[in-house]
Amino acid sequence: MTPPRNSLMQTLRENWLPAAVMLFLILFPFIVGALTDSSPMGVARGDRMVMRGESVRWQSVLIEVFILGILAMSYNLIFGFTGVISFGHALFFGLGGYILGMFLEYTGMDTGLAMVLGVVVGVAAAGIVGLIVGFVSLRLRGVYFTIFTLAVAEMCYIFFSRWQVTNAEDGFTIGSLPAWLDPTQSRLNFYYIALALFAFTYLFIRRLVNSPTGAVFKAIRENEDRAQAVGFNTLNYKLISIALAGMLAASAGMLQVILNKKVGPEVLGVSYTVDPLLMTIIGGIGTFNGPILGSAGLHLLDVFFRDATITIGETSIQIANLWGLLLGSGFILVVIIFPLGIIGTWQRWRLKARGRIAKAARPDPSMNPKTEP
Amino acid sequence: MTEAILEARHLRKEFGGLVAVADVSIVITRGTTHSIIGPNGAGKTTLFNLLNGKYHPTRGQVILNGEDITNTPVYRRVHKGMGRSFQITNIFPNLTVLENVRLAAQALGKSNYRFLRRADSFKTYIQRAEEALDIVGLAPMAYSPANVLPHGGKRKLELAIILAGDPEILLLDEPTAGMASEQVPELIETIGAIRRKGGKTIVMVEHNMNVVMNISDRITVMHQGEVLSEGRPDQISNDKTVQSVYLGELYDLPGRQQ
Ligand SMILES: Nc1ncnc2c1ncn2[C@@H]1O[C@H](COP(=O)(O)OP(=O)(O)OP(=O)(O)O)[C@@H](O)[C@H]1O
Ligand SMILES: [Mg+2]
Repeated sequence: MTPPRNSLMQTLRENWLPAAVMLFLILFPFIVGALTDSSPMGVARGDRMVMRGESVRWQSVLIEVFILGILAMSYNLIFGFTGVISFGHALFFGLGGYILGMFLEYTGMDTGLAMVLGVVVGVAAAGIVGLIVGFVSLRLRGVYFTIFTLAVAEMCYIFFSRWQVTNAEDGFTIGSLPAWLDPTQSRLNFYYIALALFAFTYLFIRRLVNSPTGAVFKAIRENEDRAQAVGFNTLNYKLISIALAGMLAASAGMLQVILNKKVGPEVLGVSYTVDPLLMTIIGGIGTFNGPILGSAGLHLLDVFFRDATITIGETSIQIANLWGLLLGSGFILVVIIFPLGIIGTWQRWRLKARGRIAKAARPDPSMNPKTEP
Repeated sequence: MTEAILEARHLRKEFGGLVAVADVSIVITRGTTHSIIGPNGAGKTTLFNLLNGKYHPTRGQVILNGEDITNTPVYRRVHKGMGRSFQITNIFPNLTVLENVRLAAQALGKSNYRFLRRADSFKTYIQRAEEALDIVGLAPMAYSPANVLPHGGKRKLELAIILAGDPEILLLDEPTAGMASEQVPELIETIGAIRRKGGKTIVMVEHNMNVVMNISDRITVMHQGEVLSEGRPDQISNDKTVQSVYLGELYDLPGRQQ
């Protein structure tokens, strides 16, 4: 009854889009370099490279897309695939950033060691915090859980904006990074590291969601009472989902502070909760590609249009003044036209179209929506 | 074969001021089919919710295989061999029919926390799910989303979900609720087949008296949260009090619309 899998050709046929996107992203710095006649490595100044030029600038833009993409994909794991609405995702993002930053700047360790330990401890801490927050609050259902997560994240934000050790709201700069990772020494290296983490997150979430554990996540999203009635300890699965999402979000926060070479309370700010939420809704809740489309779309729009000026005849309009309004109206429009997000609604249309064809042609054993809505 | 598998001891459940189940004691004997009947609002579904752990009783105990499970959560009771289907269809609407049933099979297996292998590479669960769908006659719909099934199909799915878990004791809450009357015999026949195969204990709430009288080894009549009467089908149909409160009005009515 189930179609045979595992053949290489079939894997490729089913995944040509992600594979093509990945190939494009790998070549991207060189493509931009060739188109704008700039070096992906930056500009040589004496014996060191200065991070200038179009290719390098675009690498930064895409690194930001990768960071937001990882954040949105991790948010989608709890929100879209497990059906748990958290308003505290910035907590994990910021915690990862702060812990890595403090290991690098406050321990006096060798930079390489501080880097490794910072990443390990930061990711582990995010997982543990996820478990604790979840354990305390997941017994509360629905909106109470959501409010609890918001409160914890805001508490953390306030704490770090007052804590003198990390310079309160000013935060601190990261001066010591391993050379191979330092985005001011080689943006290209860091670009590929961020891309690798981005691809890993995508593949990991696909694996997870299609696994037996992921099947339970979706069951909880669909009908938690029923999931318990067939024998699942749903609290455990929600904890796993939150811990894993928290760990992924923490790694995105680490990329962010390395890119900025600075840590401050803004990494714990509510925008790192709201952005992935909006990006996921726009792209498609509970789809694999939706959060990526959402984060890339929103961030690129932001980069292209935020500072643009439109001139119509005599009057010129500064988009920056209208940006919030435009974004808000755009969001409302997208939600009205694509109630399941762009990818989600598109998939629904395609399913419907196939359903109609199947009905017209009667027996169609190939119609297999699998478990993805 | 007179050993008790499931016992309710003085169960009581209040919702605020409303007493849904007042003081119910029932002994379910292993291997029997035991029907629970009674008019609307008698407390039958509430009793099921107490037996399967969805509600915690205000008072009283639930004993399964000699063990007090009053404080055992729903999911753990499933692992102790208790399965339950719902009067109001309770499925995973956007998952496929097969996936609805496969989940129930997976829940009882040992692979739930495997998160790096594809769920559909665990063939035994799929096999068990396909068998269950075959039994209820839903196999042709396996790959449709569950929410597109007609009402009767959803009732069959309810039954397939509980079958895939292969429980020792099945609590069936009005398995034919709301089904078109011409579909009822088929579903009842499926339940009859499970019963004849032996080894299973079935506790069933059902409104169709013909069905109840034919399929039950024992019947408990509930009324206003209390047990009114209990006995073999012939004893119940001859019981004067039962006739006055219940059978008189409902006998011969086909499955009620829910
Ligand atoms: N969760 C609840 N909260 C409040 N009252 C409830 C709840 N569940 C059931 N009741 C009430 O308890 C009483 C018994 O309901 P129950 O559903 O157990 O009856 P029933 O015998 O299953 O009836 P039916 O034949 O209609 O299914 C009813 O008066 C009902 O309104
Ligand atoms: Mg009922």
